Amino acid sequence: MTDEMLPAELLTTLNEQFPCRAPQIRRLAALVGTDETPSPPAIILHGLEATGKTTILRTFLGSVEASYTWIACHECVTVRQLMERISVGVTENVGGGDAGRAGDVCALGVRLSGALSGVERKHFLVLDRVDRTREGSNVLFAALGRLGEAIPSLTVIFILSVPKLRFLSSAEPPHIHFAPYTKEESIKILSKYVRRIPSQDIEEYTEADAKEELYVWQKFCGTVWDSLAKGTARGVVQFRAIVDEMWEPFVKPIAEGKYGTRNYSSLYLLHKDMFRRETNVIDTVVPAGAGEKTVTKIHDLPYYSKFLLCAAYLASYNPARQDAMFFMKSNDFGRKKRRGGTTGPTKRTAKNRKIHRRLLGPQAFPLERLQAIFAAILPHRLSSSADVQTQIATLTSLRLLTKASATDVLEASTKWRVNAGWDYIRHVARTVKFDIEDFVAE
Amino acid sequence: MESTPPEEVYVDEFDPKGHQGCYIFTLDGEEDRPTKRRKTKGKQRATEKAAAEEEKCPFPVLLEGTEAESTLKLRYRTYCKLWGTQEKSTKAILDSFNSKTLDDVSAFVRDVAPEKFEGKIPTALVLAGPNIASHELLFEQLAQRIRNQDRTGPVVVLTSKDATNLKTALRKLIRDATQQDEGVDDEEEDIVRKSTKLLNYDLQILQTWCESHGGQKVTIAVQDSEAFDSNVLSDLITLFGSYLDRIPFVLLVGIATSVEIFHDKLPKSTIRLMRGNKFDVERAEECLAQIFNDSMTSDKAVLRLGASVCDFLLERYRDHTQSIQAFVAALKYAYMSHFYANPLSIILGFIDSPDGLGDVLSTEHVEAIRNVPSFRRYVEGKLAAKEVGEVRKLLTDDNYVRHAVTKKIAESRNYGIELGQALAFLEIGRSCTLIQNKIPRYELYAKALSGELQNSPAIREFLMSLKRMNSTTLLNLLENVMQEVQTPAITESLRPLQEKIKKLVEEAEASGGKRNLISEFDITNNTLRGTAVSKKVRLGEQKSSLTKQDTEYSALVQQVYTIAESYLTANFNTSQHGLQNVLLHEIFFYDLRSPHSAVFAPKPRSTIERGLSQPQDYLACSCCTSADGEEVGIRGTQPPTSIIYQLYLESGALINIYDLWSAFYSVIAGDDEDFDVPTAQALFYRSLAEMRFLGFVKHTKKKTDHIAKLAWKGI
Repeated sequence: MTDEMLPAELLTTLNEQFPCRAPQIRRLAALVGTDETPSPPAIILHGLEATGKTTILRTFLGSVEASYTWIACHECVTVRQLMERISVGVTENVGGGDAGRAGDVCALGVRLSGALSGVERKHFLVLDRVDRTREGSNVLFAALGRLGEAIPSLTVIFILSVPKLRFLSSAEPPHIHFAPYTKEESIKILSKYVRRIPSQDIEEYTEADAKEELYVWQKFCGTVWDSLAKGTARGVVQFRAIVDEMWEPFVKPIAEGKYGTRNYSSLYLLHKDMFRRETNVIDTVVPAGAGEKTVTKIHDLPYYSKFLLCAAYLASYNPARQDAMFFMKSNDFGRKKRRGGTTGPTKRTAKNRKIHRRLLGPQAFPLERLQAIFAAILPHRLSSSADVQTQIATLTSLRLLTKASATDVLEASTKWRVNAGWDYIRHVARTVKFDIEDFVAE
Repeated sequence: MESTPPEEVYVDEFDPKGHQGCYIFTLDGEEDRPTKRRKTKGKQRATEKAAAEEEKCPFPVLLEGTEAESTLKLRYRTYCKLWGTQEKSTKAILDSFNSKTLDDVSAFVRDVAPEKFEGKIPTALVLAGPNIASHELLFEQLAQRIRNQDRTGPVVVLTSKDATNLKTALRKLIRDATQQDEGVDDEEEDIVRKSTKLLNYDLQILQTWCESHGGQKVTIAVQDSEAFDSNVLSDLITLFGSYLDRIPFVLLVGIATSVEIFHDKLPKSTIRLMRGNKFDVERAEECLAQIFNDSMTSDKAVLRLGASVCDFLLERYRDHTQSIQAFVAALKYAYMSHFYANPLSIILGFIDSPDGLGDVLSTEHVEAIRNVPSFRRYVEGKLAAKEVGEVRKLLTDDNYVRHAVTKKIAESRNYGIELGQALAFLEIGRSCTLIQNKIPRYELYAKALSGELQNSPAIREFLMSLKRMNSTTLLNLLENVMQEVQTPAITESLRPLQEKIKKLVEEAEASGGKRNLISEFDITNNTLRGTAVSKKVRLGEQKSSLTKQDTEYSALVQQVYTIAESYLTANFNTSQHGLQNVLLHEIFFYDLRSPHSAVFAPKPRSTIERGLSQPQDYLACSCCTSADGEEVGIRGTQPPTSIIYQLYLESGALINIYDLWSAFYSVIAGDDEDFDVPTAQALFYRSLAEMRFLGFVKHTKKKTDHIAKLAWKGI
């Protein structure tokens, strides 16, 4: 519709650079336009993570040589910092003189109108990831949205992930939606970054080789998408990270010359296992392969700390009224609930279905109960000394135990809560040869 | 702080005495006031004071007040000297202990760049173990290392206390990072001026700083990641991630529990921002072993711990604290209490040059020596050997005792040294053969002192495996022993054997190319056959298959075995070589368990409970104790709080106040019909208030007129 305002070749290069984003770029061109055409006071760009909002807008504004100020809202810790950044940024970009600071939105409005009053060109204020502003409130966003209305030459562009209804509390400004990429689109984008098959014996890299590589790459991307990325990593960045990680082991047989580039299906069968494992999908700080070369030394908690942790787990996940059943030494210590001597399956369906306690999360318990359970599960008698209390304190500072009520630590009625999962606790219990399974209520 | 002049003026106008509530009237007190204000003089006085303090001895006068001041001071000085040396070597061990981790981490920090990790924050996960006390030291060392040695840029150590919220954490981070290098002053001012516009928690300050200091990495060390609020931590990491293109951050994260727990703590999007490697810190047991060996079994050690203290410390370490720092503190306490309360400890000061000892020991000291059990045993031993004259002299002639002690102390000390060497031999021997069940030296030590090692499986296993060793392992073992143990008693006799075996191996190699000679006792390899007869047959076969060198080797192994066996039995035999027979072992081995358990692991709860439920144990009065020593129930003569407590024990989780009161009244009144009710009530109120103060009861809203029971006995 308004394409003719901008040189056509600019749009073509942009479309080449960012495939599958033509409608969004066209809308941007219409709304941003040139200095002669008017722009709305506010524009909202929205879309999920890794859909190209930031990059496209930045490149677009750069290539049409618009006058703009870019503010990364997620870098600002307080609203005041954000305001100061905006005012300083706009003043610098417009070329106005330095005049004081703007601590809040009102002051910002005054400052900006002062700075932009003598300027003929349109100015764009881009608030990147505005929904991740800390301390941000609806009033703040609404006020920022009004800035564009108050100052004629200013357009505020908001970038956010999910638009809320009446986000700016005014007549809805134009939205540009950056939809998540579909499978085809993702593969098309990834085809821009074809990775080479690392083979040693080919000296020159011919056109045909490139074509073959592209073929394998696209096929491979499709497989990864269908098997792994579809459910876990729809963002194009994450998708690419997975593809990158799996590419080299996958094409190793081709590099070694065992397989041709065209029998993809047999190559897939060879690596079938790779697409079942989840190692490439789960995010870890240490990549799975790197840590294995060193023999991991296990740092152990002290002996009684482990029992304390087990006791805390039991106190959190067992109902208090069943304690007598599990921990009384008199009635068959350590045995699970004895079901009556009846024979045959007498499974009655409960009136209301119970949710498994482990799914309900840890419940709070008083310290006294923890200590009682601790004393009950120890294999021998231990007279309680200050050391036990110290260990409870240590477990607390390790955040394996957390305080669940706001009262003082020394208060007897203060509640606590275990902060470790079943797998970890079971592992800990095993190292001290304690059968925790026998004590957990179902 | 530094601008004193205005204060001075202010002080002159304002007379503080005019507003004072009470005064101390001193006749010549005028002199004291002006000097106080002068800072320099104050410092001088402080140093003088410190010097005086040092001369002043905090130890009490012992021997019923007859200890001379010179020996008192000597005792204190000996303590300072001995603990000083020990502390120094302990510290050296602690410092050097983390060196491998330090090397690894500093190499990581030096080499990494975000580009290597696909634009993610380079992160080193330092698995530092659950001993929180050692983390501070480790991170301080890391910071020092990176800051001063590697010079890759500023290092900021963040602890959870600094990071109660995002702003304070950033403030500290920026302040610490930008103030660390004082080399360029003028530039510094520039930055400050430029950044006056910015808020003090704005990372742009750091960005500007980084621009002016090109190539510097900013290392952020999160010391206790577990204790951090996970929101603050993830916010911080997200911020680092977004600034990463402008500020080259490197993240070090201290983890006490496990990487999995760290992963659970943070959102996935934050974890995605980090990439790096993990680094293990040496296990604390290794460090403990080193410190223990240095302080107990090395040749330099003077004061050693006895079996029961040692057991206590090791048990506490293993079961409760796992803290090296706690162990070192306990060691220091042992030194302190030994010198504090034992007048004879001055003997330890003369260990290297026993000449002056005779002059120092007073008559009271000699008397004290005569009272020491080991001295009595010594005299009894002499008596049994019919050396009557000697015994008479020892008991009557003070000078003779002085002389004897002077002569004997070196011998007593050698006992400890020899024991340490024998243990070192045993440990090395065991580590060469029995890799699976390694027993560290510190555990062997306590056993050896209490005489348990004499016929223990630890030695038997070792000797048996020694017999079965092939030449490679045996040579390896001998090599280790020669290097580590400097005892002529064992090395002298083993050296020729080592030479012989070496020669034999060379011969075998030259003749048949067989490098590994096997012992004829080694029949464990092929015991597939079950019956005794077939085993015998097998044995015969095996014997015949042995080469000439093998047979010779077996003979040598037998010799090694004999030497080792006799050496070990000689050293660990309690009847001849036990600690009991060492004269004055009380001085050289500190073995009082109760001060340690009272100081380091007190039991406040059970003490209070016992005091309240069995007050007769403490009061020892006739009224509360029955004639035959049996336990008595609640009695009116017991303290009121104790009565309330015992009634409290019998009740449920909620206690009706009126019931409690009537029970209390009936106890306290006893048979007395007209016991004064107001008095009883006053006692009741006070006792209940005490119970509340001790944290046993609490008001509750669950039920009117009830209080909640908070503590149960015996937990």
